[in-house]
Amino acid sequence: MAVPMEYYLLLSAAVFCIGVFGVLTRRNALLFLMSVELMLNAANINLVAFSWHHGNLTGQLFSLFTMALAAAEVAVGIGIVLVLYRNFEDVDVTKATTMEW
Amino acid sequence: MVVEYAYAIPLFPLASFVIALLAAHFAPDALPKGGALPGIVAMGGSLALSAWVALAVAGGATYDTTLYTWVGGADLSFTFGVLVDPLSAMMALIVSLVAFLVFIFSLGYMNDEGETGLPRYYAGLSLFSFSMLAFVVADNLLMAFMFFELVGLCSWLLIGFHFREDGPPSAAKKAFLVTRFGDYFFLVGVVAVFVTFGTGQFAGAESFPALAEAVLAEEPATTYFGMGAQTWFSILGLLVLGGVVGKSAQFPLHTWLPDAMEGPTPVSALIHAATMVAAGVYLVARMYGFYLLSPTALAIIALVGGFTALFAASMGVVKQELKQVLAYSTISQYGYMMLALGTGGYVAAVFHLTTHAIFKALLFLGAGSVIIAMHHNENMWDMGGLKEKMPITYWTFLSGSLALAGIVPFAGFWSKDEVLYEALIHGFGSAGGLAPVYLLAYAMGLLAVFFTGFYTFRMVYLTFHGDARSDTARDPEPVRWNVKGPLAVLGIGAATVGLINMKPVAELTGAHIDFLHKWLLGPEEGGWPALTSTGLHHYEVLMKDVAGIQSAYPLGETPTLLVSALVSLSLAVGGVLVARSLYGGPDPVEHTDRLGGMKTVLMHNYYQDEYQVWLAQGVTVPLARAADKFDQGVVDGVVNGISSVSLFTGSRFRRIQSGIVTNYAALMTLSLVLLLVVFVVFGGVVN
Amino acid sequence: MTTSPELYRGSKAAGLAAVALFAVLAAVFVGAGFSGGAGFPADVSITASIGYLLFDFPSYASVGGEGFLAAFEIIDVVLVAALVGAVMLARREGGDPLSVEGGEE
Repeated sequence: MAVPMEYYLLLSAAVFCIGVFGVLTRRNALLFLMSVELMLNAANINLVAFSWHHGNLTGQLFSLFTMALAAAEVAVGIGIVLVLYRNFEDVDVTKATTMEW
Repeated sequence: MVVEYAYAIPLFPLASFVIALLAAHFAPDALPKGGALPGIVAMGGSLALSAWVALAVAGGATYDTTLYTWVGGADLSFTFGVLVDPLSAMMALIVSLVAFLVFIFSLGYMNDEGETGLPRYYAGLSLFSFSMLAFVVADNLLMAFMFFELVGLCSWLLIGFHFREDGPPSAAKKAFLVTRFGDYFFLVGVVAVFVTFGTGQFAGAESFPALAEAVLAEEPATTYFGMGAQTWFSILGLLVLGGVVGKSAQFPLHTWLPDAMEGPTPVSALIHAATMVAAGVYLVARMYGFYLLSPTALAIIALVGGFTALFAASMGVVKQELKQVLAYSTISQYGYMMLALGTGGYVAAVFHLTTHAIFKALLFLGAGSVIIAMHHNENMWDMGGLKEKMPITYWTFLSGSLALAGIVPFAGFWSKDEVLYEALIHGFGSAGGLAPVYLLAYAMGLLAVFFTGFYTFRMVYLTFHGDARSDTARDPEPVRWNVKGPLAVLGIGAATVGLINMKPVAELTGAHIDFLHKWLLGPEEGGWPALTSTGLHHYEVLMKDVAGIQSAYPLGETPTLLVSALVSLSLAVGGVLVARSLYGGPDPVEHTDRLGGMKTVLMHNYYQDEYQVWLAQGVTVPLARAADKFDQGVVDGVVNGISSVSLFTGSRFRRIQSGIVTNYAALMTLSLVLLLVVFVVFGGVVN
Repeated sequence: MTTSPELYRGSKAAGLAAVALFAVLAAVFVGAGFSGGAGFPADVSITASIGYLLFDFPSYASVGGEGFLAAFEIIDVVLVAALVGAVMLARREGGDPLSVEGGEE
């Protein structure tokens, strides 16, 4: 029995919103990056679900590429967190507020 | 034709101005006499050319052309041009003659006395000659205004020549500001004329007097701002009169002229006696076709002139300094000219302008000679007995004084008598309200004749007769040919220039010797060609038809003439005799205390100076302060308020940029939610 | 005195935005009517098809799709750039790579 499409989409929305929740409330920069990863993976779930819905492999191929991009983005993100630590003594994102009015 | 080269008359002194200026800056030693020689050569050239042009005009030539258009438009254009007709040719001749003699005189007054800064002086004199001659030959009102202002500037430069002392710069400032006050009204008048007529030309079929005449002739006349055409033209004439009153030192803007005597005496002779103050009267004569269209303006001119004549003459009787007496005399005599113009005596006014230029320049130059002799002490009570020691100065000065007082057969008699005669007969003959005004002005002018005779000969007796009252007078400094030469020329002129229009003799004997009348009237009594429309014939027609000025002879034509001449002559002689009895002896004393309280008023010049200072400080300054407060508070306040609103909102809004990244993310999420809700509710972009 | 570690230190109010977002998305997804999915045939090899499509051989792929060769090459370059960027960001100035000094403190 096929799983109805709504469940896949609800799952993807839920994972996405958990990621958004983490971005909005987390103070540790590394946990911030983990939440961003959650959001990316939610998008992947969405892509694969629609690929199954249309019977077309374009969605799955696209999600491969987004995974590669997520990896690249994490690499650069960790580098940025390292520089952030060097400049502000702490990985707390609420401490780095010099770009303000 | 030589009249086509009339534009060169002002250009000669302009060249000498440039030479003096350049030499003063770059090569001060290149000019041995500090710039006098280029000036003398230039003025000689102008004089020769003016004489030649005048001869051509006597043969019937006139010239009216536009030389350069500096703003060319479809409806309105501003041009420079030249107008040569009898009036301007004669005035150019007088101006260049007096300026030429003043340049020569300056060699004696300035160079020989060892003054410094001579190139600046001669440059100023040359610039003044250029502007005055350009004003005289100007063909439109705007060009006349520009050169009117320029002569005012040169007057300021030259009065304040000794700027390191206290008096001259202050006097120069006062002269400039008082005339500028009048010139403000003149400027408004110029703009109004251009707006009303679209042109400022003085002569020709397209000139504004001709257009105004056409407007008045049509029925019904067009209205301007809700008032009739004649009322509006009167207003225009009165606005221009503001500048005339200022420049010709009439009441109430006369206060600058006595103070202007702080300048060197040749400057006083040229500018404040013969030429610049004549500019106002000349302007009225130039625009006479326009002024004749408005009897109101004529009446005001006559009243102002008559009143000023009496007013200034009364102040001249108590002055102690030589040049001050002459200054008040100048104000008074220009009052006579305004009286003549106002009462319709155009020929009389031009005649008096000519004779006055000659004898007043003569008197000032004579005063300059005396001042050189007295080592620059001007107080008449320190002089005396100079008659034997300075014969040429004395005889020429006497010639000028007789002319000023109006004693026959000197020039002033003929011209002043004609002024009063015209005022009298037009006063008896004109219609409506003009008659009493003219008669009142005539009475004031007649009374001033007595005062004129009195103060003139008081001046002569105190300066030249009696015993010397101080050491300087006993041993005066001798003057050279460059002082005596111009004096001699002008002395002969003062005695003889009256011959150009001896109207009483012409009436009595029937001989046609009223040359000036014929000159202004035109060849063969037919009037000048309609090209210029500035001929006397045209003015006489206007006087009768539009202004309502007519002549009436209460005693018959010739007896009225003789009686009027006798009355003015006897008043003048009476004044002379009173002066002789009071001051003629070997040791005269001051008699002014006999005037009692009047003496204080007269010495303070009727408190006119204090009144004008009060107007400036008590009235203008508070008004200016209020206007400034309004400008800074309201006008600037609005602008500042707008900017402060934007600054305030900006300072509040920018607190969104807190630097905390999660706040930005929260804002983005909220916006996304809102956007999605909007799309859900309204069905998105593509329906 | 020691305190027990807190599970979570951040503010929780901002998370309401995330909850609101989930509410909106859920409402939309549940409200949209989806017909049955097409699905994939049971016996073909999905992975092989993905590989063929990745290199622009749609004729060999059993299931339909688009070719992704250009994207493949570009993502390769992107990964290299990311690696280089990460190494450049993490570099310390001065000293040999194994020392603990150098860089900013």
